[in-house]
Amino acid sequence: MIWIGDVLVSRGEGGVYNERMLGGSRVWEPYRSKLSALYHVGNGVELYPSMRVLYLGAANGTTVSHVADYTEVVYAVEFAPRPMQDLIEVARRRKNVIPIMADATRPDRYALVVEAVDMVYQDVAQPDQASIAIRNCAFLRPEGNLVLMLKTRSVDVRKDPEVVFDETLKALKEAGFTVQESVWLVPYHQDHAAIICTKPLR
Amino acid sequence: MQSYWFGDINDGLCSPFTGNIDTFVSRMLTLSTTMETFTPLCWEHAVACGVCKDRSDYLSKLQAVCIAAAERSIRDQYARKDAELLQMVRTLDEIDTVINLLSERSADWYMVRHPAFSRKYHRTPAPRLVKTIREKSRGALGRVAGEIEQLGETRSLLAKEVSARANDVMPNTSALIGGLVAARLMAEAGGLFPLSRLPASAIQVLGAKTALFSHLKTRTPSPKHGIIFQHRRVHNAPRDSRGRVARVLSGKLAIAARIDYFRGEPVPEFLEAAQKRIDLAGKGNCL
Repeated sequence: MIWIGDVLVSRGEGGVYNERMLGGSRVWEPYRSKLSALYHVGNGVELYPSMRVLYLGAANGTTVSHVADYTEVVYAVEFAPRPMQDLIEVARRRKNVIPIMADATRPDRYALVVEAVDMVYQDVAQPDQASIAIRNCAFLRPEGNLVLMLKTRSVDVRKDPEVVFDETLKALKEAGFTVQESVWLVPYHQDHAAIICTKPLR
Repeated sequence: MQSYWFGDINDGLCSPFTGNIDTFVSRMLTLSTTMETFTPLCWEHAVACGVCKDRSDYLSKLQAVCIAAAERSIRDQYARKDAELLQMVRTLDEIDTVINLLSERSADWYMVRHPAFSRKYHRTPAPRLVKTIREKSRGALGRVAGEIEQLGETRSLLAKEVSARANDVMPNTSALIGGLVAARLMAEAGGLFPLSRLPASAIQVLGAKTALFSHLKTRTPSPKHGIIFQHRRVHNAPRDSRGRVARVLSGKLAIAARIDYFRGEPVPEFLEAAQKRIDLAGKGNCL
């Protein structure tokens, strides 16, 4: 990852969402982007130029644009039409963003478009986040990384965030994943946790 | 055989799909597979197929098709009749908020200019107060009051349009509870399809989020009604039967919303029976 002092940046065409520029690079705000927050509070997954990424819950393409700066291609899945309009605009400016308007809970609908990827990144506001991740890891190559941004409040508002966190970890381990890192994203995002797992070889 | 967006692969042999971008989009939107049996896509096949020259050509073709597909999906979604109604209802509710805010503020301002003025014991309705402020104030304050009145006119025009559109988009729900309230229910649920999938109990408390969650978290009493309270049948009902009316009404609304989504036309037999049942609940008869 590229750091200028203690500021995380990415190199690419600016002006996507009025982001600050620093020495010609785009500042990647941890308060706006959960992935950036992960790099600030934990280790995260090092992005590299030949990397292929499946990004679930792409929203307006803000974080997508930073990931695209670091990687070869980003398959960006988003379901809602309003953010999709913005995402398409990002895709027009970035050759390596492939926008897919589909429901992340139904990977069969885009299975014939997406290739095998090195990383699955998931940031969806759904109750069954672990099972969505597991289903989408059909696209993940063995030893590839799953980065799950757990919105505990979307899973169940009545449950204690810690409980939701433990349950999700358990579900991922049962599915055969090795959990590498799991951190809360405080102080940048409340009640949000990041879980990084590795897919087993077989 | 395994189909991909660029063609079909059969025993290692590829037959490319030919056509323009529109036919590619149609293909992409209809393709589906089961996750158990599918073989992951391999971009080299597309080159072998002759669909593209190399990796970067593959990505740019795929991107073009994906953008076109997404644009078509967006167009289709926005073309649904409830998409515009949703925006109309939200605009209406926001205009209400703005009118209330500005009226309160201009009243406070007016009271500074006229220290002897008070609204206590007079019960001046807000519209008449705004009219007074407009007539008696010079400069920006008078202009603000004028704008509030203009906004009020826009609001009633919009309310009529919302009502009319709701009668068209959701005829059964509108017949039971009125176009405006029906449209509000739809907007709160996020569309006609999401509304049609809600259970009656959820429709009953739609729009009572704060009360519902405080009930779920602590032991406050559960809310009896949300948006449906706005209908006269609920708020005119005596206190002790209000909960019952709300429950019966929302039960019928859940059915009406499903008819509206799947059939899209009024069903008189259903409406008649439903009205009768709701009236019965209001009279204190519980079945």
